[in-house]
Amino acid sequence: MSLLSKFQPLAARYDALRESGADPFSVKFDDIISSVEGVLKGKRTLLFGTNNYLGLTFDPHSMERSIDAIRMHGTGTTGSRIANGSYDGHAELERAIADFYGRKHCMVFSTGYQANLAMISTLVGKDDHLVIDADSHASIYDASRLGHAPVVRFRHNNPDDLAKRLARLKDQPGEKLIVVEGIYSMLGDTAPLKEFVDVKKEFGAYLMVDEAHSMGVLGERGRGLAEREGVEDDVDFVVGTFSKSLASVGGYCVSSMEGFEILRIAARPYMFTASLPPAIIASTTAALETLRAEPQRREKLTANSRRFYNGLKSAGFTVGPEANPIVAVIIDKVDVAAAFWKRLVDEGMYLNLALPPATPSHQAFLRSSVSAAHTFEHIDFAIELMTRVGREFGLLPENVHPFPPRVVTAERLSARAATMPVRRPAADVGAGMA
Amino acid sequence: MSEDQTALLNEVSDVLESVLNKKVELKPEMNIVNDLGLDSIAVMNFTMALEDKFDISIPLNDMASVVTVQDLLNTLETLRSAA
Ligand SMILES: Cc1ncc(COP(=O)(O)O)c(C=O)c1O
Repeated sequence: MSLLSKFQPLAARYDALRESGADPFSVKFDDIISSVEGVLKGKRTLLFGTNNYLGLTFDPHSMERSIDAIRMHGTGTTGSRIANGSYDGHAELERAIADFYGRKHCMVFSTGYQANLAMISTLVGKDDHLVIDADSHASIYDASRLGHAPVVRFRHNNPDDLAKRLARLKDQPGEKLIVVEGIYSMLGDTAPLKEFVDVKKEFGAYLMVDEAHSMGVLGERGRGLAEREGVEDDVDFVVGTFSKSLASVGGYCVSSMEGFEILRIAARPYMFTASLPPAIIASTTAALETLRAEPQRREKLTANSRRFYNGLKSAGFTVGPEANPIVAVIIDKVDVAAAFWKRLVDEGMYLNLALPPATPSHQAFLRSSVSAAHTFEHIDFAIELMTRVGREFGLLPENVHPFPPRVVTAERLSARAATMPVRRPAADVGAGMA
Repeated sequence: MSEDQTALLNEVSDVLESVLNKKVELKPEMNIVNDLGLDSIAVMNFTMALEDKFDISIPLNDMASVVTVQDLLNTLETLRSAA
């Protein structure tokens, strides 16, 4: 009992949440039918909480290549690239990502989380300084604890605050690495990257951008926020993940810095874990090809994001500051947010419930992620459902209509969801979604 | 406690009040997490506010070894004299 007793306060909070009827931490899907549709408690459900930005999880090109790779190269690599060797596919994917970014070097990791752990904990040592945004993702915080550099935080998205903190470190020896994100994963806001670049240059620091949620989403070619802002030459390292736009699992870092390759025998989260299996490498390589060949997916994603964001905003919800594929509705009270979330899920819309401390404030977020695979009909269904429930909960003014009011039911899902049979029995899926 | 430390304690109390938006009465022997009920986020925000108040850099790892209010005062004194 004593070993786990320190978790009693956490357990008590979790119990209170479950007693309210909402358990966002153990949703179990009966099945996932498409990039945007699943089955939950026997009911067809629209997925608005997947990070599946380009809608590529069922893309035939990726699926076929993945299946071929298993047939040709087996199911797993059974070891790390340092100890057990690389396959052709690993090097090929690294070349493809480096080429996509126009950078000299790329390292692939087994998750995006590990990409951050590896890069951040290794690049700065005990005589350097790590300077991170206060609202950084957990992987960046964990990386800051794995490494040995002193860690300083600056106020979220605030270049002046960053400058102030770098000024305090001015006379201290060692290099400074600034870490920011392209699109922040909870609120969907972007970093003021041009201003951060100015500060970085003023103080001679290095800059890393985690484009986990912006790769495939922002920029003319989909490289992310640095591309959109025209500052790629001043971003020393881009980190990202395969688990969102590229619809698989894994992470990467690209850079043109001379000497980069030494990190392969220095970064422990790269060295001491098994490399990605052939099926994942193959589907990821294929998905990157699709990302590059089909910019229309990004256009559709942008149109969907704006429609959803503007619909919720004009209905009177408090949303994040920008229309990006992550759309968060901010709700002050955690119990109201939990009840709201449960109603939406019961009525056929799955989204994420983000609770403090995962949110940057003491509020709760109903966090949606929009996909290029959503139709406008899907988006409108979600807006109308959220608006109806929001009014019922007294969170919205009565007289605002985002659209001409229509009857909304779960039957309004897309034609495909209405006609496509569930392909597999309930039992073997579920665990696929994190 | 020296006069300097008493003055510092008052300044630290002001900073914490501004972070928590409520009155606090700090005593040197208080445990920052247990007695003040600060969670990890509050501690980090408290740290940023202290950095701004005293115009110093307080790396998160330096805060990790701070348990009591007295520890904090000592750490602040060291960092200020080094700055
Ligand atoms: C900003 C950010 N960085 C890194 C990650 C980690 O990525 P992965 O899920 O591939 O480990 C995530 C998502 O979980 C993220 O939101």
